[in-house]
Amino acid sequence: MITLAVFTFFAVLAVAGAVLVIVQKNVMHSVLYLAFTVLATAGVFFTLQAEYLGAIQILVYGGGIVVLYIFVIIIVNLKEVVPERRSLLPKLVLIAVPVAVGAEVAYLLLARGFPAAGAGGEGMGFETMAEILFGSYLFPFELASVLLLAVLVGAIIIARRKLIHDPD
Amino acid sequence: MIPIEAVIVLGLLLFAIGFVGVVVRKNLVVMLMSLELLLNGANVILVGLGRRLDSPRGTIFAMFVIIMAVSEAAVGFALVLAYFRQKKSYDVDALDDLKG
Repeated sequence: MITLAVFTFFAVLAVAGAVLVIVQKNVMHSVLYLAFTVLATAGVFFTLQAEYLGAIQILVYGGGIVVLYIFVIIIVNLKEVVPERRSLLPKLVLIAVPVAVGAEVAYLLLARGFPAAGAGGEGMGFETMAEILFGSYLFPFELASVLLLAVLVGAIIIARRKLIHDPD
Repeated sequence: MIPIEAVIVLGLLLFAIGFVGVVVRKNLVVMLMSLELLLNGANVILVGLGRRLDSPRGTIFAMFVIIMAVSEAAVGFALVLAYFRQKKSYDVDALDDLKG
């Protein structure tokens, strides 16, 4: 019961923060609300007994991505406010599409009910998780490291100020 | 015990809000932030389903999604910086000379 209360608390915080992210005019305020949403989502992960993922969320999102966003906003023009030039009707149509998609899935879910879980799960412990991650998912795991290396090189090359002409 | 429906509705809400941010806003940085919200919503659903099935595979999958989100943010910001050097702005409408 207390878990459900804590889950609801973090869920409301996350949704409120997410709405505030997309309605802010000032980008810096958006980033701070994004950090708020990310931390609230980490709380949701903790209540779902995914402690490892909650810690990763705090470290990677709260410590890494949000700082990256803040750096970029400081480097580019902090003061610029991009005007929203769409009129009300196109904007409402654009908002209606995601709302309709979400409402349809929620309706199907609540009307039909979720199928019952099969018996005999693997357990949620760290040991099981490590065994599966470095057993069945070893190849994607190594692939992820290659992806991160490629991103490291690619981001440096794209963001570099000008090309260096290498005679080789 | 948290009902699975509540978790999925929360993930859907985050996903829909991120979707609205991507399609409605014209600020490049806010659009990237909305993409993060979208991926977060997917992660919430993955973790909830893993909890429901009593399996760590949902968590592992969400971890790969986070790795992907980090890569996307890094490359996206490199592109924003390159774009800003060209246009001195991060308004997506300034990109319309890319057409054709």
